Amino acid sequence: MMENAQIKPAEGLDLYERMLRIRLLSEHILEVYRDDVMETPVHLTLGQEAVAVGVCAHLRDEDVLSLGHRTHAGALAKGLPLKSLLAELYGRSTGCSGSYGGSMHVYDPEHGIHGSSAIVGGNIALGVGAALSFKLQSKEGVAVSMFGDGACDAGVFWESMNYAALAGLPVLFLLEDNQLSNVMPKSKHLYPDPRAIAANFMPTYFADGTDAISVFLSAKEAISEIRRTGRPAFLHCPTKRWMKHQGVEEEDLPFIHIDREKDCPIQKLESFLLGARMATPGELKQVRAHLEEELEAAIHYARQSPYPPVQALEV
Amino acid sequence: MPWSRFEKQWSIQEEGRILSYKDALREAIDQAMCLDPKVFAIGLDADDCYGVYGSMLNLSHPERVLGTPISENAMTGVALGAALTGMRPIHIHMRVDFLPVAMDQITNYVSKWKAMFGGKPKVPLVIRAVVGRGWGCGAQHSQTLHGMFAHLPGLSVVTPATPRDAKGLLLQAIALDEPVLFLEHRWLYKNEGAVPEEMYTIPLGKGQYLRRGDSLTIVAPSLAAIHSLQACEEHDLDVDLIDPRTIKPLDRELILDSVRRTGRLLVVDYDSPVCGFASEVLALVAEEAPEALLAGAQKMTFPDVPMPASGVLERRYYPDPDRIAAKAKAMISRVKGEGALV
Ligand SMILES: Cc1ncc(C[n+]2csc(CCOP(=O)(O)OP(=O)(O)O)c2C)c(N)n1
Ligand SMILES: [Mg+2]
Repeated sequence: MMENAQIKPAEGLDLYERMLRIRLLSEHILEVYRDDVMETPVHLTLGQEAVAVGVCAHLRDEDVLSLGHRTHAGALAKGLPLKSLLAELYGRSTGCSGSYGGSMHVYDPEHGIHGSSAIVGGNIALGVGAALSFKLQSKEGVAVSMFGDGACDAGVFWESMNYAALAGLPVLFLLEDNQLSNVMPKSKHLYPDPRAIAANFMPTYFADGTDAISVFLSAKEAISEIRRTGRPAFLHCPTKRWMKHQGVEEEDLPFIHIDREKDCPIQKLESFLLGARMATPGELKQVRAHLEEELEAAIHYARQSPYPPVQALEV
Repeated sequence: MPWSRFEKQWSIQEEGRILSYKDALREAIDQAMCLDPKVFAIGLDADDCYGVYGSMLNLSHPERVLGTPISENAMTGVALGAALTGMRPIHIHMRVDFLPVAMDQITNYVSKWKAMFGGKPKVPLVIRAVVGRGWGCGAQHSQTLHGMFAHLPGLSVVTPATPRDAKGLLLQAIALDEPVLFLEHRWLYKNEGAVPEEMYTIPLGKGQYLRRGDSLTIVAPSLAAIHSLQACEEHDLDVDLIDPRTIKPLDRELILDSVRRTGRLLVVDYDSPVCGFASEVLALVAEEAPEALLAGAQKMTFPDVPMPASGVLERRYYPDPDRIAAKAKAMISRVKGEGALV
């Protein structure tokens, strides 16, 4: 489903760069995590990069992204500087949350990230609140509430959609559906099709969450509809989680089938860009080299940064 | 997060069959289920391969362990509804931090149901939740909250520190016809101690001495009790150490007797300081035995800020045996009469 007419080469390369940045961060975490240099539980986004990147390509800095516990892809895609995220993971005071948040709690209001939450579901409402704020202040702006299939179990999912529809708010409900809640398959925790539920409240869109172009095109439609009408929309992106729910071990659930060649959003985009002659192998290599440098510098920055002073906790 | 790294920290030296805290909980649930077909467990991920850190694995009645969606508030109501109509549910949560999602049901329904209908309903509901910090988990995955829940009239709050108490108190909680919040500290899961094989109950509201001494009373629940014991043993402190075992009901007499003898009180509470358990114990002594406090009464708690994620801050945030020992020594060295309340 790769209709190249609708995406410009620069846009394609931008998707590529953002996804690869996230991927390289994950790979760095895999490399060092077992040495305990990052004392924080990580929920990796390996294999899921396309969802956040395809959506955030249509957002401006002032648009809001409300995230849950699985933060890395969304935060970087929205513009959180890599070095701030790395410093947070390394527990340093220069981290995006001053080291008080860790992997699950990222903060970067300049890029529309007003904090993320590790209690499943609640962040959906915060995105709706940001949309209400845009409306009350007559500001242009779209809020995106990003959540997993597990969050659809929670009452706050329904309540948030209901209010957003009643009040007419510019918010995108972005379902990053890896079909898992920890080790539970979706069939065990969620009875209805969430998109069918959402369709009672708002227009719904669908994309292949392992395919950045697919997400990019559906998100473009959904977000321009939100900007045009000021009303909510829902985007469902089935995707695949490569790793265990949390930590650095590969997923090994018997009912999960992952083909790292076919399911890889980055490889998919690479072959698309090359096949459509939207990029040359040299250009892609250049992007990678530039990102590797950026990562090296960010690691250096994080590791050189001071730990926070413990005096802050003296009573 | 390397859960496996929470190595066994301490074992209570006692005669008898040795069991871990986790296995003591498991045995209590297994025996309760075998005894009474109405006992069942329900909870998010209670039925998965990790089995709430092992306490739900290899049960005789796995068919009575029900998983749930991520719907804590509704599921608390479901458990309450089942309890009111003949079942004895044990609602399980991997972290106490998920209970605030169910605060409506706990505050307005579970804790009120008995009193609101003239004491007539039976409410045989146990809510189990794991408390305590992890590893850079930050503010939303590291809370204790026993003080907050104890604030609610109608809800008992149980905080076992030893494997023996974990089993006896859990069996008691399941046997009762009133709601009990049962809070297990994750750092205690691997600790070992003597646990009788047969079924037995420990009544709520009965504390115990973990050590006897004359110079200072320490009151400490849950992990704080074990850390205080460690502090006393490693530093050979002359301390009367009381583990209240239940936050509510509270064994007031045990605490008052001890303080009247030692004249000094330290409450070590791994929870927030304001309007909490530590303040409650200090208030108890101020009300009932102010003349006994010859050399001051103090509390040692978390600072009044949410838990930070960075390891250096997290370690500072939680008191530990060395800091407890330092505080206890400083209090003991104070001459009686200084800092007395009256
Ligand atoms: C209210 C609440 N209950 C339970 C948990 C424990 N928990 C953390 S993530 C998670 C699964 C969430 O699944 P989903 O929403 O699909 O997100 P994913 O991890 O798949 O990205 C669970 C059950 C929690 N954080 N919050
Ligand atoms: Mg999921």
